[in-house]
Amino acid sequence: MSLEPMPLFWLALTLLAYLGSRWLYRRTGRYLLSPLILVPAVLLAIAVPLHTAYAEYSRDTHWLMAVLGPVTVAFAIPIWQQRRLLARHWKALCLGMLMGSTASIASSWVLARLLALDSSVSLSLLPRSITTPFAMPLAQQLGGVPELTAVFVMFTGVLGAVFGGVLLRYLPLRTPLARGALFGVGAHGAGVSRAREVGGEEGSVAGLVMVLTGLLNLFAAPLLTMAL
Amino acid sequence: MTFANFKYLARLLAELGVLLGLYLLGGQLVAWFGWPIPGGVMGLALLLVLFALGWLQPAALQRGAGMLMAEMLLFFIPALMSLLDYGALLRNDGWRILLVIAVSTLLVMVVTAFTVEWVCRRSLRHES
Repeated sequence: MSLEPMPLFWLALTLLAYLGSRWLYRRTGRYLLSPLILVPAVLLAIAVPLHTAYAEYSRDTHWLMAVLGPVTVAFAIPIWQQRRLLARHWKALCLGMLMGSTASIASSWVLARLLALDSSVSLSLLPRSITTPFAMPLAQQLGGVPELTAVFVMFTGVLGAVFGGVLLRYLPLRTPLARGALFGVGAHGAGVSRAREVGGEEGSVAGLVMVLTGLLNLFAAPLLTMAL
Repeated sequence: MTFANFKYLARLLAELGVLLGLYLLGGQLVAWFGWPIPGGVMGLALLLVLFALGWLQPAALQRGAGMLMAEMLLFFIPALMSLLDYGALLRNDGWRILLVIAVSTLLVMVVTAFTVEWVCRRSLRHES
């Protein structure tokens, strides 16, 4: 390419876009300005006209993804803090996570086959309903493309946060447990923030369930590789 | 920089250091045992053990862990930029991929919510 950006150009731009979008989102509360949507949009709008390849972009920024490892460790905190909730309702939550995860993996696989998607795309779709720090290593184990999975996880979060709000209006769900689990299993991080807006208990349930569903999927991975 | 600021920063870095240390230790352990799980998950298990033994309180890691989780988006944005290499895939299969994601996400939410609701109502009926 003709235009050679300065070293660390993409890192600086990523940080700047992130901080700007976070500030805008906090001030306006508009969903389209949230970093989940605005930052990739801004970065793509700059990188695509410059014909930047992913390898070039990630040379500066790949170490940011390495931080997802310590994030996984920090997930121990919501589990520990919600251990009483888990002890009281483990039956409902475990069954819900098991059924939800099965529905997620089975329906993704069947639909991807029906629509004749490429097998590496199909495999990358399987872990898309769990949180990114778990979904990326899981995609690796299943033989998918972790980066592609991260993209699908993002789409799931964006769509899921909207769908969840609509579903709550029409489904006859009386317990905060069911409302929280819907968001935690279906839409991971984006769902958890949406669940917090619905209610405190919904938020705690969603946060706990999001982490546990990620773990459940990871531990089920050897079974899944055998089945595929 | 004031002393209070400095103390806060030192504290934050120490907490992040503990989380990083557990992550690296977890990675070493799974490599030794040859377990097929990511090092971060082993680190998570180690941290739970530390909490259970009472050697560490969740509050002691609040700043570092809170920051990591609050800014998690920043850490996976680089992976989203892999879209740069998948322009053709999105143009050809984008709508099919979105259809899979949308239908499957709706299904997951309905199945999960009804399962949890059903188990809750059943156990309530048994209690009363």
